[in-house]
Amino acid sequence: MVLVKLAWRNVLRNKRRTVLSGLAVGITLACMIFIDGIYIGMLESMIRTATDTLLGQGQIHAAGFRDTIEVEKTIHNTEGIAESLGSEKVLSGYTERTVSVAMLSSAAGVSSVLLYGIDPETEKRISMIDEAILKGHYLAPEPGGQILIGSKAAETLELETGDRLVLTAAQADTGQLSQEMFRVAGIFQMGMREIDRGIAFIHINQSRELLSLGNATHEIALKFRNIDDAGNRSLPFWETYSQSGNEALGWRDLIPQLDGVIELSDTSTTITSSMVFCIVAVIIVHTLFMSLYERMFEFGVLRAIGTRPLSMALVIFFEAASLAIVSIIIGLLLGMCIMYIFSVYGINYRGIEFAGVTITELIYPVTTLRQFTFFPALIFVFSLVAAIYPAVFAARLTPAKAMRRTL
Amino acid sequence: MKKSEDVLKVVDISRTYRSGEVTVNALKAVNLTIAQGEFTAIAGPSGSGKTTLLNIISGLDVPTSGHALLAGRPISEMKGSELSDFRRDHIGFIFQAYNLIPVLSVKENIEYIMLLQGIGEKERLSRVVSILEQVGLTGMEDRLPRQLSGGQQQRVAVARAMVSGPDIILADEPTANLDSHTGASLLNIMRELNETKGMTFVFSTHDTMIMERAKRLVLLKDGEIVKDEKRQ
Repeated sequence: MVLVKLAWRNVLRNKRRTVLSGLAVGITLACMIFIDGIYIGMLESMIRTATDTLLGQGQIHAAGFRDTIEVEKTIHNTEGIAESLGSEKVLSGYTERTVSVAMLSSAAGVSSVLLYGIDPETEKRISMIDEAILKGHYLAPEPGGQILIGSKAAETLELETGDRLVLTAAQADTGQLSQEMFRVAGIFQMGMREIDRGIAFIHINQSRELLSLGNATHEIALKFRNIDDAGNRSLPFWETYSQSGNEALGWRDLIPQLDGVIELSDTSTTITSSMVFCIVAVIIVHTLFMSLYERMFEFGVLRAIGTRPLSMALVIFFEAASLAIVSIIIGLLLGMCIMYIFSVYGINYRGIEFAGVTITELIYPVTTLRQFTFFPALIFVFSLVAAIYPAVFAARLTPAKAMRRTL
Repeated sequence: MKKSEDVLKVVDISRTYRSGEVTVNALKAVNLTIAQGEFTAIAGPSGSGKTTLLNIISGLDVPTSGHALLAGRPISEMKGSELSDFRRDHIGFIFQAYNLIPVLSVKENIEYIMLLQGIGEKERLSRVVSILEQVGLTGMEDRLPRQLSGGQQQRVAVARAMVSGPDIILADEPTANLDSHTGASLLNIMRELNETKGMTFVFSTHDTMIMERAKRLVLLKDGEIVKDEKRQ
């Protein structure tokens, strides 16, 4: 106990140095907390943007459809699957779609697009098409020759709401081209170039008619009650719906590049943490050695009057622990302040495209328990590890050398 | 603790240092025996070897040849924790510059060795009260060293050295940093403790006052004892 008392009082002895070292380590901890928080916030935002914009958190297709987008490759037993999905407790909603390649023609030119046939009502629960209308209005619940086009496509085709265009697509089975005139009901802008330039939406019934699909569906987009389920590859849901020639995939498999970013972020967090903790180690070692050299004679006296080498090492470890505690308190307070400030104001990365996803909203740091428990614990452990060298140095001090002038 | 008649026995101790190409014979086959209750001053000019001798006696240095027995144990052969424990239990140190632990109070400084020895709180407190009374510092238990004068700090150092009941107290120029009046006062305390408690003191000193009041004066010159005089 006397060694703990000695160590703690020694840490408080040079308050300025302790505060400066504590600040240095504390700022490092606060930075770690913030970087982790903003990283999680950014990933969550990217996942949300990627899934909520159009994709959905999961999808069901006929196997191989995603690779070829062949009109014939429709989901097997669509009605049975739809009925079954309706009773799935993990889902909060789903919507059926058709997806085909089509050509839009206006007086100004032509543009190839990915044509989505959507159910205007159920689609609202899955994607943000209705919220992204820039001009005009969303599709009416019933088919009426309406089409939604993106802002970039509207520019290219020089179209405004109310204008007419001709839509050309290949029919299923026969491959014959089918043409139909549509009126632009709305122009949307989702902030993602590919979507705003290359996607158009019509009512699913009209799309089925145009493509001669009958009641068939190419895609069922899913929304889960808990997004973690959508990213959980081991969820039995996927296996259940990946049968009879269909495949059900979560967003991790639908946007593998985003999944890669998450894995990359884990790796980079580890690397960043390692570097940061090396800095912490250097600060701790430096501080302890400064303190040790300053008190060399005192250490010599302690050894001379009977303090064992191990006890000398323990004094250093206790000092490192005390310094770590001071630093952690400073770091946690700073971390909380920074997290609070940025959780109010956010960071504007809007418009930046990363891993195929354009960030469309302010990024807010996400606070997790790990940041305020695991990181401080790591700082504490690293401080003790860093103290090994000075502790061994102190334990090996011979009183005569330490005291310089001896008895 | 079993007391030996001769607390300290130094047998044919030599100590050679190498300083670059030069070899320095700091001690040359020194023999010295200190009996319990002696009040001995080891004096001599700078470089005479008195510091080296005290270092070897206390186990802070090892001889090139010969050996030192303290309380009947070969201190020169001890190492690590064994040596630390032996110093803690058998030797009291008084240093020239007081060298109290600045972050510990008077009471805690005196208690420190007893804490290392695992002595219970009640016993520790009793000894602290008693020793502070003997050195005239009653009521100053909670002061920090910086709140004391030099003389008071040195008296705390004396109390710390004595409190665990060591076989011998080794004092390195204990009055060097004190004015003559304070030095005399401190010397009186130590002399009284020697006479009333039978404590054994060995001083390394230049101070003529200590030399005059020592019961035994050992003079060192060029690493050899040139005079060993006992007085009453």
